[in-house]
Amino acid sequence: MSALNSPLEAVEARYLDVDPVYAETRDIRLLGFVMALGADCVLFSSFIFAYLYLRTASPAWPPFVGGHQLPRLDTAFAALNSMVLFGSGVTMHYALENWKHLKKQAFNGWLAATIVLGILFLLGQGHEYLSAQMTWQGSSFGASFFTLTGMHGFHVLVGVCYLIVLMIQSNRGVYTGSKYFGLTAGTLYWHFVDVIWVFLFFLFYLW
Amino acid sequence: MHATPVVHTDHSDHIHPPPEGFIRKYVFSTDHKVIAFQYLAVGIFFLMIAGSFAELIRVQLWNPKGTFLSFSTYNEMFTMHGTVGVWLVVIPLVTGALGNFIMPLQIGARDVAFPWLNMLSFWLFPVAGLILFSSFIFGLPSAGWTEYPPISLQYVGTAFWCLAIITIGISSTLTGLNFTATVVKMRAPGMTWTRMPLFTWATFATALVNMIATVALSAALLALFLDTVFHVPFFEADKGGAPVMYQHMFWFYSHPAVYIFILPAFGVISEVLPVFCRRTIFGYKMIAFSSLAIAILGFAVWAHHMFPSGIAPWLQLPFMIVTYAIGIPTGLKVFSWLATLWGGRIQFSTPMLYALAFLITFTFGGITGIFLAAVPADLHEHGSYFVVGHFHYVVAGGSVIGFLAAVTFWFPKATGRMLHEGLGKLGFWLFVIGLTGTFLPMHWLGLEGLPRRYASYEYFLARYPDVVFWNRVETVSSFFMAASVAILVINMIWSIRRGRASGINPWGARTLEWTISSPPPYYNFKKIPTVFGRPYDYSEPLPYRNLDNDVDAYPAPMPAPRPNPSLGGR
Repeated sequence: MSALNSPLEAVEARYLDVDPVYAETRDIRLLGFVMALGADCVLFSSFIFAYLYLRTASPAWPPFVGGHQLPRLDTAFAALNSMVLFGSGVTMHYALENWKHLKKQAFNGWLAATIVLGILFLLGQGHEYLSAQMTWQGSSFGASFFTLTGMHGFHVLVGVCYLIVLMIQSNRGVYTGSKYFGLTAGTLYWHFVDVIWVFLFFLFYLW
Repeated sequence: MHATPVVHTDHSDHIHPPPEGFIRKYVFSTDHKVIAFQYLAVGIFFLMIAGSFAELIRVQLWNPKGTFLSFSTYNEMFTMHGTVGVWLVVIPLVTGALGNFIMPLQIGARDVAFPWLNMLSFWLFPVAGLILFSSFIFGLPSAGWTEYPPISLQYVGTAFWCLAIITIGISSTLTGLNFTATVVKMRAPGMTWTRMPLFTWATFATALVNMIATVALSAALLALFLDTVFHVPFFEADKGGAPVMYQHMFWFYSHPAVYIFILPAFGVISEVLPVFCRRTIFGYKMIAFSSLAIAILGFAVWAHHMFPSGIAPWLQLPFMIVTYAIGIPTGLKVFSWLATLWGGRIQFSTPMLYALAFLITFTFGGITGIFLAAVPADLHEHGSYFVVGHFHYVVAGGSVIGFLAAVTFWFPKATGRMLHEGLGKLGFWLFVIGLTGTFLPMHWLGLEGLPRRYASYEYFLARYPDVVFWNRVETVSSFFMAASVAILVINMIWSIRRGRASGINPWGARTLEWTISSPPPYYNFKKIPTVFGRPYDYSEPLPYRNLDNDVDAYPAPMPAPRPNPSLGGR
């Protein structure tokens, strides 16, 4: 990191130390990254469409398999697990803000907390899968539930790996107080994964 | 008041040296021009494969009994012809090859926004081809290029098909993302949205569609893959799945996909016509914005492919109306092109011949599309040769003719050599005659009720004896098109070695790519030019400053304008 001491100096530096080439590249990369997230949104939307289609096509929901209606999912546990994921969004926000103010210790702490919360969420999701009373192949409910939450879980897993890479990079001095696009991208990605979960939580557990 | 300090970036500082060594220069290159050539070469290779499959289909249909291929091989042939044609020929050629070569040059950029990603997009393309063709070990996919479940769930080939198309879909998505970022962020100073060349407009609209729609296709095929391999019941009705849902998910991409085919061709025609009419393009803004309108409306018409599939009747009417509505922006374009021709000093060079043929063949394909969008007519025509005729008039008569116009138009810029004009014209006439002979009879055969995808039409003879004659006309004509493609390839190879040197601007065109040397240097523009206006106004000097070459000194090699007698000497 730069040799600046106070947060105020760091903020000033961001406005004074403008590297026009970097600013241009950053703009392009930000646009590209946001568009990639938008494309990812379409992927989830397509499977959500499939879920809505199958749900409305079914005479009852949860559907009947072999004469028995499948039970509803465990909303209480999922709500707890959701709090873990949404909490990780908050910690990620604080991590980035602290980086912007050159508080490296706090940044490391908040980022580590985010990683831990992400892993906790994945463990909770694993518990949910193991205790589920339906299978992937058994019904349209199982097909859409495991595929959508599995895709989301995969995104969380990728996010956790991404954040670990960011932690290593930031401690090796890849990013500075004015050039930290990788951290911005990581934060955006993490919030994106959170937002997707808002929809999935509503569609599978609350509705 | 203090003057605001202007951050000045001298772009000429950032010219990177060209890469050294064969591998970095020609194989894993990040240069958009080299990547365009790679797309062109691999795309034409797959064009020949798809064409061979088509010829096998046509030979099979020479005899009503259809004894040339076994019926299951015939199914594989038409499936692979459609699959390769759509995803490995047309889309890579019109977006990957044309878009990559022309668009960055037209906006005055040194490369696309993400050159490394561009290289990745290209290399996913042959990989997709390998995955698709490796399925021959287990049996090629054979449920038609649409691969509707439940029938597609019976074949192992479907799994390979899904993986291959997901791979090429990722490539398309990344290209779309890359081009969108390039057009939004990397235009030369002064090039406002309404000063952009029309091919760039078309590429931009295409890129948006590519970025959004292709992911939806990947999702549909991922679901189909999971159903085929792991029996996850998305589409199996006995476990609560819905086969018709696949059609929704598939066509939500595949209808916009036909605009991915055709929008770049629209862009090519909009570039070629003003050059060879020596007139400004008529209705610049109409042409530019109608591309966007088509791209947006294209997302709300997919269910017109599904009228007989058992969708709700109340749903049919809105889809029919929106489909008709697409005729409006498309018609605006066609009328603008006709108005561009009006009073122009037309020069019948090969690219211009292709552009003129496009106006006829594409419009014809568009009009039969309106027939198919009408619910009552569609219920009769659906699944018949009428659909095949319509589709090929749009794809071969639209996209491929647009692509051929582009190749013959930009070949001098890409290589520094002129194509042989005589061979070019011979190829043109062979293609147009072959196109008409192959696809025009399909329309009346389809209206008589001849179904598509049948390996034999013996049973059909009693009612319509003329079916044999017309099928033989189609078969013979289809070899004319094959000959045309062969002549094009020979012409390109011959011209690269022996062709006349083209100079900077052989056609007297006015977009930015014609101001740099041919072939363009590695860095494209030594100095980034400044743009002061639209490129099509032939009565004005070039609207650029800070050009690398003094191109105003190059007189346009055209005869003086002659009064058009039909316009009373205007």
